[in-house]
Amino acid sequence: MHIKKYDFNYGRRALLEKTLKGVAGAGVLAPLWPLIANGADTSKAYPDELTSIEMYTKGKVKVGDVITAANVDAVKDLLDPIAYNQVKTMGRKITIVKPTTDASKLFQSGYLDATLRNKGKAKFDANGNIVTADTGKPWIGGNPFPDAKTGNEAIANLTLSWGRHDFSIYAIRDWDIAPTGETAYQYDFVWAEYNATGRTGKGGPYLPGKEDILRFQSVWFTSPQDTAGTSFLNTWYYDQRKFPDLIGYLPAFRRVRTFPANQRFEPLVSGVTIFLSDAWAAGDPMLTWGNYKIIERKPHLGAISANWYGGRNANWERPVHGGPKGQTFFDTNMELIPEVIVLEAEPVGYPRAPVGKKRVYIDVRNQMFVAYITFDRRGEMWKSFEPGFCQYIDGNTVQKDSAGNPIWSWTHVMTHDIQSNRMSRFVQAREVTGGYKSAYDDGGQDVYSKYLTSQAIQRLGVG
Amino acid sequence: MRYKIAKWVMQHRGLSTGFFVIVTLFFAAGLRNVELKTIFSDLLPKDDPFVQVFKDHPNFGSPLTVTIMVKRRGGDIYNTETLAKVWKMTRDIDLAPGVDHDQILSIATEKARYAEATPDGIDMRPLMGDHVPSTQEEVDAFKSNVEKSPNARNFLVSADGSSTLINATFIEQRLDYGEAFKYVHDLVMKNQDAHHRVYLAGQPALTGWVYEYESEMFKIFAVTLGALILALALYMRNVVGVVTPIVTSLTAAIWGFGFVGWLKSPIEPLLMIVPLLLVARSFSHCVQFTERYYEIYSHVGDRVKAAEITMGVMMAPSVLGIFTDIVGIFLIAIAPIPAMERFALFCGFWAVWLIPTGVLLISLLLAALPAPKNVDRLVGKGPQSLFMRAFKAVLVFIASLTFGKRARVTTVLVACLAVFSTYEALRIKIGNPTEGSNLLWDDSEFNTAVRQINRNFPGINTLEVVFEAKNQRDPNRVDHQADTVMTMLALQNLIESAPNPPRATLSLGDYLMEGNRLFAGGDPRWMPLDPRNDAVNAAASAVLMGSSPKAFSNIIDFEQQNGTVTLWYKDNKQDTVDAALAEARKAVAAVGTDHPSFLIRLGTGTIALQQAMNNVVERFHWVILLCLNVVILLGCSFAYRSFVAGLILLIPVNLSTLILGASMHLMGIGLDINSLMVASIGVGVGIDYGIYLLSRICEEYHAHNHDWGRTITASLTTTGKAIMFTASIMFIGILPWYFLSSLKFMADMGLLLVLIMLINMVLALVVLPLLVYLIKPRFVARKDLLVGEGVDLSMYASVDDDVAGSPAVAGAYK
Repeated sequence: MHIKKYDFNYGRRALLEKTLKGVAGAGVLAPLWPLIANGADTSKAYPDELTSIEMYTKGKVKVGDVITAANVDAVKDLLDPIAYNQVKTMGRKITIVKPTTDASKLFQSGYLDATLRNKGKAKFDANGNIVTADTGKPWIGGNPFPDAKTGNEAIANLTLSWGRHDFSIYAIRDWDIAPTGETAYQYDFVWAEYNATGRTGKGGPYLPGKEDILRFQSVWFTSPQDTAGTSFLNTWYYDQRKFPDLIGYLPAFRRVRTFPANQRFEPLVSGVTIFLSDAWAAGDPMLTWGNYKIIERKPHLGAISANWYGGRNANWERPVHGGPKGQTFFDTNMELIPEVIVLEAEPVGYPRAPVGKKRVYIDVRNQMFVAYITFDRRGEMWKSFEPGFCQYIDGNTVQKDSAGNPIWSWTHVMTHDIQSNRMSRFVQAREVTGGYKSAYDDGGQDVYSKYLTSQAIQRLGVG
Repeated sequence: MRYKIAKWVMQHRGLSTGFFVIVTLFFAAGLRNVELKTIFSDLLPKDDPFVQVFKDHPNFGSPLTVTIMVKRRGGDIYNTETLAKVWKMTRDIDLAPGVDHDQILSIATEKARYAEATPDGIDMRPLMGDHVPSTQEEVDAFKSNVEKSPNARNFLVSADGSSTLINATFIEQRLDYGEAFKYVHDLVMKNQDAHHRVYLAGQPALTGWVYEYESEMFKIFAVTLGALILALALYMRNVVGVVTPIVTSLTAAIWGFGFVGWLKSPIEPLLMIVPLLLVARSFSHCVQFTERYYEIYSHVGDRVKAAEITMGVMMAPSVLGIFTDIVGIFLIAIAPIPAMERFALFCGFWAVWLIPTGVLLISLLLAALPAPKNVDRLVGKGPQSLFMRAFKAVLVFIASLTFGKRARVTTVLVACLAVFSTYEALRIKIGNPTEGSNLLWDDSEFNTAVRQINRNFPGINTLEVVFEAKNQRDPNRVDHQADTVMTMLALQNLIESAPNPPRATLSLGDYLMEGNRLFAGGDPRWMPLDPRNDAVNAAASAVLMGSSPKAFSNIIDFEQQNGTVTLWYKDNKQDTVDAALAEARKAVAAVGTDHPSFLIRLGTGTIALQQAMNNVVERFHWVILLCLNVVILLGCSFAYRSFVAGLILLIPVNLSTLILGASMHLMGIGLDINSLMVASIGVGVGIDYGIYLLSRICEEYHAHNHDWGRTITASLTTTGKAIMFTASIMFIGILPWYFLSSLKFMADMGLLLVLIMLINMVLALVVLPLLVYLIKPRFVARKDLLVGEGVDLSMYASVDDDVAGSPAVAGAYK
């Protein structure tokens, strides 16, 4: 117990001091990363007030409690302002679960290994791109800056590997909720990510001949019928100053449509509130944004464990509640994260961006975001993007990767445009219309040709 | 009965005062809930089919969109300076409070695109790149891009290239009209320069202007109220005579506002001229009451007794006068316009409150306040001024026109006037079409902007034909169905090929055809859509790919279940409106209104809503007048115990309405919602003059030994003064609105009210005594009239001085 040694506000004061100094790494009582590297309990890096919600709230909230409008004020400074408003005014509820102290549960195992293996090997080149320090070549996998101390380091961790798998395919079921609380749109779609560099698995860090590419990413819609087959392909260059190539395909016309490369602030299809720019809180090449600043280090509530419903729902779907029709929000479990980086950035490379800045809350342990808000150019809050992550374990049901480790991935996302009060929420499902299933490795297939070329997207989602 | 009430009140002055204090405190507590707010949709008749379509589909017709037109003087927009201005304004309007960042459209936004078919597919690019064209090559390239974009050519750049539009749509629940308007208007002002004119239109701008001018309204209200008090002070020249009307009117006002405060019913500021009329009405009533009190006080010499007698004497005529006001105001609510219904409730009850305050409270005040020293002058004792003598001479002359030989001539003239007025009034047209908004003056900044935009673009005179899904949750979105889109296109074809076609038409079908062409390779021969669900749906998916349905919110709803065919017309003159509606009705009938998955509803947009207002005026103008006549006839017949009395009172006010209508027709003004209200108030409030005069005639008839000539002369020279004062008070209260208000709606109402009250006054002084003389009704001779103001003060006088000889006091106090 550290409580005897340190007064109640010690942890928060220490985090504030670190923010002001601007160079310190994660951890308060001890540096965090040696603990993670040794597989030790990460809570040892923090005083109790930052690892126990009960202590933090002086007994007002404890593990197992449900945060509602009645008690949300006790955790107001642990939520982003949009989440707070959702609970306070729209009937949202959040269940508090016990905190994760084993950092390995916050990673896909191969990615954690690469992060530890390659720690200290990344640097920025003269252009601001991330390179491997000794070779000057693209990054070799894992978080390039596991203990990010600057804004650029933090965004690099988010940008270089979105889903933390070399290849992943997510079967997604989406509901778009109108201000009335009714479902305005419902889509099934599939999202594929395939890293060309910074790979952590067998075969080395680069796809042969694709060292200039960061990733290929495609999305295709499978339901409803009127949208089925509509697909998009994003090709990201490794050079983070360059805009990705974006093409779309309409099956009825058998035509590929090229989109303006900088059209990042429009939805892909009708009704959803998500822009390309919003993906993974790092939806644009990192050097097309700028003025990255860590504005704060603080404790925060995040959905980072116990959020998978595979044991209770065969298709991994989850209950909903709140809003005018009782279906605006997903049921969510959150826990106290002892330290998050609060990062802000501005879309300096988009002279027509309607967004003024974004604010990202990043768990310092796995450098993954737990909340993300955009502001308009007036400085008013616009949208929130709140993900849930966890190991895919639900009771006795476990989803494992090919190496036998529990899958770690995202489970659900809620994107709330609070200005027009439209909510898009989606789950990573086991399977969606068209028979597409979520998967986290290539299974020995040529997934590039199958899912991630112009020809491929013309085949997907149809029939 | 009335005297018993008067006696009881005076015997229980403490209790009565306590009652007024408690009730006033109760209503004062409701004042905190009072909300002055223009709810524009509440200005529309709720039972009109067009209005119902508007309310069911409020997003069609772009009610939340501001339109800014940037016009290059003496050139076109294709130069760096103008394009930079448009770019900057587009970025700046994104900073407007409450704007929907997804719904800003100009040639500088990414949403304004051109498309090219390439060997691989379709390449869609913004008209303008990531920066303002800075070289001639870039400007030329931009111009070429505009040429490739049919939507930009039609809706964003004028045909002569001199003007371009910036549209910004606001989010309703975040929109503070005043704040947004201030921001956008400042932006417009800042960007005017030697080379550019910038115009601002759109419903939020109109609302902003109205709010801006409504704040000015409070100043005018203060000015006119001040003028009323000054007139009162000049006339009365004593504290009691000024304080009493003010306290009485203020109490009624607190009750009036507090009542709607408790009901939480917002007050429509555009109609605030009517409460001022009520204040003026209350003032003039108080003055007459007070003058009568002084008259009685000068005889009886006891404040309490004088107050009691005055209350008893004045109660019935006061109640009758206020009763007609109440009827006139309440009957406005017959027209099913929510704002007028709420206003009738507010003002009608305010008028009701004039009864307890103007009869009981005023008596309590007079009994409590010290008597002024200038009572004798006030009751007409002592030498009269030259003005008063001249004034009296005029009244004597007017009186002389109404009896004896001169009456024949007057009768002929009045009859001719009546026939002519009736003929002209019946020819009056419905509606006052204004290019822009008839709430504002023709040369207002807003209406000027509307005219300019109409001149350079399809404009804002739209008729929306709405396609409404039968199942709002149809899984096969109705806007994506072949029947919907093909019917839209068929409707457009029919209307475009009919006589007097609109300037432009637009529906989702147009976008789909363009999408079809592009995605099929770019050849114009691919524009027509295959009338199959999958083909139409494919085109819809193509058009909406990579964008939000909000980008098409002017023609489809967010869920893509409902849509509209927009028809733009060159103006909103009644002939255009009639022709547009007739052709639209024909076309809708030809394509059929009831389809398997949708209904076609005609319609909304400015053309339809203008017609809705005209319809309500047409339906209710004469109905309201008829109801008013019936109710007032019954009330007055009861009060005078004579049906003839009711007719004698109603003839002048109806003739006034006809004369006003004839004057409006001769001046080219049509009937509108203003004239509807004015006609109702004109009869209800205007009849007061007649009541004063007729009551006086009844009294003087006995005092002048049944000599009609002397009776009429005496009545006009006494009560005529009161009528003149009342008319002056009304003038002071209302006429300044015509000169001071930037809101044409209020100014027009002020002018019409002044005119009708003026005509009412003249006719009350001429036609009413003429009718009495011609008819020589028997009720005049009766002494048991409810409205009799006579009283024998000798019973109360401590020192009787010529009381019996006073014509004003000869009567019955039983």
